Amino acid sequence: MTDLGMVLEVFLFINLLVALLKVTRGPTHADRMLAALLFGTTGVALLLLLAHTEGEPALVDIALALAVLAVIAGAAFAQRAWRGKWEGNEHS
Amino acid sequence: MILRAILWRGVLLAALWCLLTEGRVDSWGLGVASAVLALAASLILLPPGSIRFSLAGLAVFLVYFINQSLRAGVRVALLALRPRLNIHPGIEPVSLRMPVGVGRVILVNTLNLLPGTLVVDLAANHLYLHTLDIGGSIEEEVRVAELRIAKMLGLDLDDEP
Amino acid sequence: MSIPELLSASFLLIGAAFFLVGTIGLLRFPDVYTRLHALTKVDNLGLGFTVLGLVIQAPDALAALKLVLVWLLALLASATGNFLIIRRAFDKGIAPWMAQERENDP
Repeated sequence: MTDLGMVLEVFLFINLLVALLKVTRGPTHADRMLAALLFGTTGVALLLLLAHTEGEPALVDIALALAVLAVIAGAAFAQRAWRGKWEGNEHS
Repeated sequence: MILRAILWRGVLLAALWCLLTEGRVDSWGLGVASAVLALAASLILLPPGSIRFSLAGLAVFLVYFINQSLRAGVRVALLALRPRLNIHPGIEPVSLRMPVGVGRVILVNTLNLLPGTLVVDLAANHLYLHTLDIGGSIEEEVRVAELRIAKMLGLDLDDEP
Repeated sequence: MSIPELLSASFLLIGAAFFLVGTIGLLRFPDVYTRLHALTKVDNLGLGFTVLGLVIQAPDALAALKLVLVWLLALLASATGNFLIIRRAFDKGIAPWMAQERENDP
């Protein structure tokens, strides 16, 4: 059972890595912001699995905090960070 | 009325704290402080009396929601797995009967998890929805979601625009 | 392997499969709007099944409820975050990819 957990952890980690590489390449700022959402789902799942296989319940609390931070990051991004130019032509 | 709301919310928040600490009691001081702060925030953000929460409505909504999110996930998954990408995305306006307030917030969040719809913008009485397949039965989906949420919160929907 | 363990393992595997498909959608879909479809809907199911798999093996009821709470919060977080990002993208004039553009396909 723990073996399966570890395999899944590695699998989710690679998944997260590939997805993060993809979104950081853009092309728009909105694409890059998807990184926050990725941590909110894949990151949380990874932490919950780790909490189980490592027998470390504190990791559940970290997962909880990560989920909340994902929204705050998204909100801060929408309200403040993404100012300035019209990006209509950046899409391709 | 207000006292009842404070009592209910206080109990709920205290239960939440117990859940977060998994029943440990060594940090109850912090818990009480957090619960009081959260209660104050909730009273400011959602004044009592604006909704009549229904437990039966919640149950109906939850079943509907889980069912729909399963459908949504499977549908998008199948679209992503097709060898040739066959999607016809577009943006559609849909009229809105849900009054402004907490109901709308829940509606937007629900629609974001429904099959094939993402809310891109919110106007006075319109939603702009991005869909993966334009020309589907989006309007009816929105109507159903509205109805379920209105039942859960005890809200009256506006008349058909 | 006992039956609950087997059930839990299958839920965890289904969850992982959804995460994989979510990433595939993220890589294949043409613009930020369609990619968000893949992320919110598919990844949330991935997390849902992962939580379900772990709930079965939770040591006690409180721990199980806490896992469900994490899932609810992540669901709310992703729906909200996604709305904020997408509305901003729309505001900023990032044009959605339209089906007509497919006509240049081979």
